[in-house]
Amino acid sequence: MAKAQQPLLYVFLAIPVTYLVALIGFPVFYNLVMSVQDVNLGNISSMIRPFIGLDNYREVIADPSFRKVFINSILFVGVNVVAQIVIGLSVALFFSREFPGAGLLRGLLLAAWMLPALVVGALWKWIFATEYGLANAALTSLGLVDAGVHWLSDPRIALTSVTIANIWFGMPFSMILIAAALIAIPRELYEAAALDGAGAVARFRYITLPSLTATLLAVACLVTIYTMRAFDLIYAMTQGGPLDASNVLPLLSYQFSFQQFKFGIGSAIGTFSFVIVFVVALVYVRTLKKEAVS
Amino acid sequence: MSVRIATAPRVGWPYTLIAICGVALYLFPIYWMFTSGLKTSAEIFANPPTLIPQNPTLEAFAHVFARENVLRYLRNSIAIAAPVTILTLVMGAMGAYAMSRLRNRLVDVALVTVLMLQVFPEALLATPMFIIFRALDILNTFAAVILATTSKTLAFALVVLRPMFRQVPIELEEASRVDGCNSWQTFWRIVLPLMRTPLIVVGTLAFVQAYGQFVYALTLMSDQELQPATVGIYSFVGAEYADWHRVMAFSSVFVAPVIILFLIMQRKIVAGLTAGALK
Repeated sequence: MAKAQQPLLYVFLAIPVTYLVALIGFPVFYNLVMSVQDVNLGNISSMIRPFIGLDNYREVIADPSFRKVFINSILFVGVNVVAQIVIGLSVALFFSREFPGAGLLRGLLLAAWMLPALVVGALWKWIFATEYGLANAALTSLGLVDAGVHWLSDPRIALTSVTIANIWFGMPFSMILIAAALIAIPRELYEAAALDGAGAVARFRYITLPSLTATLLAVACLVTIYTMRAFDLIYAMTQGGPLDASNVLPLLSYQFSFQQFKFGIGSAIGTFSFVIVFVVALVYVRTLKKEAVS
Repeated sequence: MSVRIATAPRVGWPYTLIAICGVALYLFPIYWMFTSGLKTSAEIFANPPTLIPQNPTLEAFAHVFARENVLRYLRNSIAIAAPVTILTLVMGAMGAYAMSRLRNRLVDVALVTVLMLQVFPEALLATPMFIIFRALDILNTFAAVILATTSKTLAFALVVLRPMFRQVPIELEEASRVDGCNSWQTFWRIVLPLMRTPLIVVGTLAFVQAYGQFVYALTLMSDQELQPATVGIYSFVGAEYADWHRVMAFSSVFVAPVIILFLIMQRKIVAGLTAGALK
């Protein structure tokens, strides 16, 4: 590369990176600062606020609703990761067979993922309506339930309901990523295995799965990151209720900050989410690097 | 050839039929959204619900246009999404080009920084952004939401575009320099035109993301006149009792452009997504 071109390239690099550091990096740092301060509506405008050490964190950890929401988040994210990968892989395998229209039909599924998350939440709130909703009508007509299920107002079921909606929303994206990796597996591997007498199950176990390990790990990281940020969908469906039954960390943090104006507490809750996504992002970046090398 | 058939069976039309049924079933909620908007107030509360509207009517659509300010909401959504798209494309193209051409540790650091920064949930960034934008005195303006949203779409654009820019052969640029183009002219006249398709894909995805933006609009703007359609729909479903045919009519009008863009661009979007997330 000619030296003459370098200065412009550095300017090109600096502009977007500076933008992101200013608009994401700085807020993340500022969140950490607020989490060790006493921030309320009175002092939010001034930059000088009392530092109170880890008091916010102590208060958060002592709060039973935080523990409940923390466990909810783990369940919500965990079930999403497993379900999106298992369903996504199955669907991708189905479409990897050669039949007319396979590519087009597979791509169409992505329509669900393209919708704004808030609209997806509104739509599933309507589907899960107790009295006139589609879900209860379908289940009763199939004879699976006797009376209408209170999908969103029963504290035992609400988390399941928002999880189902989020799996529907996110699965097509996971599936498309897995499908792309499936296509990249060399045909010769399967041909050689078939000649050696390997059956379909053996080929899946010894060729498909090992070839997909890196991709599945990357997809698991991405689903974790995307699910950890789920806000719109749950906010539209249940607002985290009833009684925090379907609440997750970002939503709880938002409620403390913008509904109770306890900004310090909200920021401390935010830190927990930051740590989780940060660790997952490290794994993700490492996976990408390994793949780039190999 | 016989081996190939044995390992990758050409399964043919029966599979197409199964696939069509499966995809239709999966996307049924989207059908449900559009058809619920076509029902009357009486039919929306029919038990069991009717799968096909018995007396399809545009009443609910007319209502949301006349009474719920759908046009104002849509205008606001576009007023946010269009500048976000432009900012994302300009900065995304510059950054991705630089990342694809410079090869040193600084670029590695920049790339990892971008990858790490894209993971933080918006709902958590909203509080510090609220305070920063308050200090800058731009709360309650489109600018606040545009700047905040661009941080999300830009990180995504850089990740998707970088591998695309790598595919432009360096020889082309060297040739243009021999012809007397300076580095800006090379970028503008040679590289960018070759990147037209990826830029259209990234622009579409950035537009769709910004168009559906909710958290930043909710937190950074309190003036209802400025709110985009997502907040409008939310205020509609947030109530205990919802007129579902009207909510769905509003949602249908709002997502129709997204669905149309998706149908036109489907193939290219799929290719762009897979290139970005895993390479």
